[in-house]
Amino acid sequence: MWMYEKRLEHPVKIKNPNPAIAKVIISQLGGPDGELGAATRYLQQRYSMPYAKVKGLLTDIGTEELAHIEMISAILYQLTRNLSICDIKKGGFDTYFVDHTTGVYPQAASGMAFSTATLQVTGDTFTDLYEDLAAEQKARLSYDNILRLVDDPDVRDPIKFLREREIVHFQRFGEANYTNLSKFTRHTG
Amino acid sequence: MNCECERQRLLNLVRMYDFAITDVTLYLDSHPKCPHGLAYYYKYKQLYSEALAAYERQFGPMTNRANTNPTTWTWVDDPWPWELEA
Repeated sequence: MWMYEKRLEHPVKIKNPNPAIAKVIISQLGGPDGELGAATRYLQQRYSMPYAKVKGLLTDIGTEELAHIEMISAILYQLTRNLSICDIKKGGFDTYFVDHTTGVYPQAASGMAFSTATLQVTGDTFTDLYEDLAAEQKARLSYDNILRLVDDPDVRDPIKFLREREIVHFQRFGEANYTNLSKFTRHTG
Repeated sequence: MNCECERQRLLNLVRMYDFAITDVTLYLDSHPKCPHGLAYYYKYKQLYSEALAAYERQFGPMTNRANTNPTTWTWVDDPWPWELEA
């Protein structure tokens, strides 16, 4: 089970709303390499994972990803506060606004709704771990691309934090993968 | 020190100490016998509980299991974490 803590993992305080940037960052919520996919992937891979340490790692990283969904959503919420219709049209936000107003809906920047077709749970230890390593790199790349597109330091700060976490997670999944898993305690039903 | 300033100070302490724990937790998952990792974990766990207790005493519950006001369910009070005022 989970317990909610009433705080963000890292602060999000964006003074200037900017719907054009929100349109891009939304990919890290519901896009192909976003945080919702990450949390779903790791938490659902746990059940077929035979190694105790890797079950723990998938649980702990999956849980941190839930906090990242919340951080990205907070960024989107704050970037789309108090918009006038003129801001919405100028920022190219009208195509999103027509369906969702300023609600925070998980979709890719392209407009494609969140889909579990972007992730896998194969039931195979190494296949899943290699998928996880690739997923962390793809998410890191998305954050790099966001940093290329965004100047506002209030937005860059939490995005840089999230980018660093992708690197740490990659490192930890790498240790799980390259450690001799036969040395790990195996608990089977 | 004004109240909001003190709230932010304690909230940042909670956040900082808990982040240290989040980070070392992932490390310990693959290095469960590392004495340095374990010492780091216990050190920050202690600092985190002290900062959390100080925050909750003055500014209300961090979880819905920490409501202590006998007459009011303060858990639902604004601001929520995604709001600018949080």
